[in-house]
Amino acid sequence: MDSVYLDYHSSKPTDKRVLEEMMPYFTEMYGNPSSLHSMGDLASDALEASRKRVAGFINADEDEIVFTASATEASNMALIGYAMRRKRRGKHIIISEVEHISIRNIAKYLEANGFEVSRVPVDQYGMVPLHKMERRIRDDTILISVIYANNEIGTIQPIKAIGEIAADHDIAFHSDAVAAEGLIPLDVKRDGINLMSLSSNDLYGPHGVGALYMQKRYRVNPVIIGGGQERGIRSGSENIPGVVGMGAAADLMQSEMHDEVRRMEAYREQLIKNILQDVPDSHLNGHPTDRLASNSHFRFDGIEGEALLLSFKDHAIAVSTGSACTSKTLEPSHTLIATGLTHEEAHGSLQLTTGRFTEDSDIDKVIKVTPDIVSNLRRLSPIYKEKKVFAR
Amino acid sequence: MKPTKYSEKVLDHFRNPRNVGVLEGDDVAVGRVGNPTCGDQMEVFIRVEDDRIMDAKFRTFGCGSAIATSSMVTEMAKGMTLDQALEIERGDVATELEGLPPIKMHCSNLAADALHEAIKSYRARGGQELSEALEDTGPELSCLIGKEEYLDKGVYLDVMAPEEFAGKRVVVLHTGDESIDAALELTSQTDRVVLISPEKEIVTTEELAEELRTSSVKVITESRVLEIMGDYEVEKVRVHNLDEDDEYELFVDAVVVIE
Repeated sequence: MDSVYLDYHSSKPTDKRVLEEMMPYFTEMYGNPSSLHSMGDLASDALEASRKRVAGFINADEDEIVFTASATEASNMALIGYAMRRKRRGKHIIISEVEHISIRNIAKYLEANGFEVSRVPVDQYGMVPLHKMERRIRDDTILISVIYANNEIGTIQPIKAIGEIAADHDIAFHSDAVAAEGLIPLDVKRDGINLMSLSSNDLYGPHGVGALYMQKRYRVNPVIIGGGQERGIRSGSENIPGVVGMGAAADLMQSEMHDEVRRMEAYREQLIKNILQDVPDSHLNGHPTDRLASNSHFRFDGIEGEALLLSFKDHAIAVSTGSACTSKTLEPSHTLIATGLTHEEAHGSLQLTTGRFTEDSDIDKVIKVTPDIVSNLRRLSPIYKEKKVFAR
Repeated sequence: MKPTKYSEKVLDHFRNPRNVGVLEGDDVAVGRVGNPTCGDQMEVFIRVEDDRIMDAKFRTFGCGSAIATSSMVTEMAKGMTLDQALEIERGDVATELEGLPPIKMHCSNLAADALHEAIKSYRARGGQELSEALEDTGPELSCLIGKEEYLDKGVYLDVMAPEEFAGKRVVVLHTGDESIDAALELTSQTDRVVLISPEKEIVTTEELAEELRTSSVKVITESRVLEIMGDYEVEKVRVHNLDEDDEYELFVDAVVVIE
């Protein structure tokens, strides 16, 4: 078991207080919300109470929340479901170059099915330039999807401004808010978001639960067809314990987020300052200030990320990397490439993400071991400090 | 198997790599394989005496299994005759390491290949040293798609007003000393300047070479910019890696082409 966990963007523990609220729904109140008996009533009451909690968390109305089995599922519904519903109006969709892999692949699926997708490049910090977004809008554009904050480098997008542009052109605006959940106060009305994907686990709720925020005018076609649950938008018997967990997690987050984020910002500043200072030829990936409180992302010249990850593992520290060697496709992180890095540079990255249970000693330990880990791997490296430049 | 699930033996060679370093001398040959673009580059050095490998060392940029296989191949090769060492096959290194995850098998191939390259290079040399031709003009500019189309939209033919480049990601095509000068000048405006040259190495004046080596300019050799792309303005370039015969895209805001 790793004793220091700095990979909160990958997975979070379920908060014990959340688990406590869930437990009775496994063994005692196990009814189906569609049933008319009192056991069914208990379940449907729990479902609707949870819906209210999640809606409140993002300033939406209760009937604008559809529970799903993951944020990926919510994104499938938002993009595929909305595109299918509006295909007669137009077949053009805009996304950014720094979307989560799920949105990237959904966009590819839509391309293969007759839709056209434009991808907006980002600046060196991973931020979408508004003029580049606006330039890609066409008469047949039906949907814009931009990640709220990046899941790898933590850059926060100008969501409110993008929402205004979408509204001006009467185009639906979807945002994948998974990485931003619990780190930025989400308000769909303020930001002009019409569709939004959420995950329970990113709020310290259970895995396997998500939600789609779907504003009233922006109904989507169902992607999963069945018994007509969730007003026919998402069929399948409701996961009541999971949904209760997500509702409880959203409530807890609402009350604790403010202090939690301030603590994480201090950790972030400490990590960035010390690592850039202690490790020569190290760089910060992502935006210097407009970034998630949880996220520090570095790049070290001349070394490879998976080797880095294994070395941290030997120190019982769990971290993450954008290296190709840890991905299923052996491709380096598309997000780092989009910021203008070469493949070789993208391979040498280190992602540290803090969370609710991070302690001061965790940060101290990472700061202490990183310089040695990097210099040990550089000792092996043929490309560190090797510029092929010679005098005549 | 998960990509990161390694055998204890792999982890041991990763944690305590054997034979790290370089060898020098007339009786030494080096084999280089891989490319940092793909995430792996290995160098295996062998010292040969009477057709036998007396010492072997390596340097590797790469993942855990790339490091472990390099370490293992140098251990295996030491003491072998050149013919014996040439028989170390791609899978043998993995077997000695008690297996590698399937997705990592290409890394073990690289280690054996680097050793074979070193042996071939030793045999091919026959005492003859290759000398690089010295040029005082830079490489010739080849056809570059999009150069005219993006003029004043991110393509610059000179660096008259460096402040226009503030905060931009700039690619400078290596077309001689003037282009190196321009790249160096731009580092005062932005921390992202990439100098791309089709040559194997950039050869310039002593002064510029020293300045370039210590500067923040990122140097990419053996690569040619084929095309400038973007919606209305420069947004990325398509680069051809001549060594690997591989093409990739690099996201940039400006391209400097000094003819």
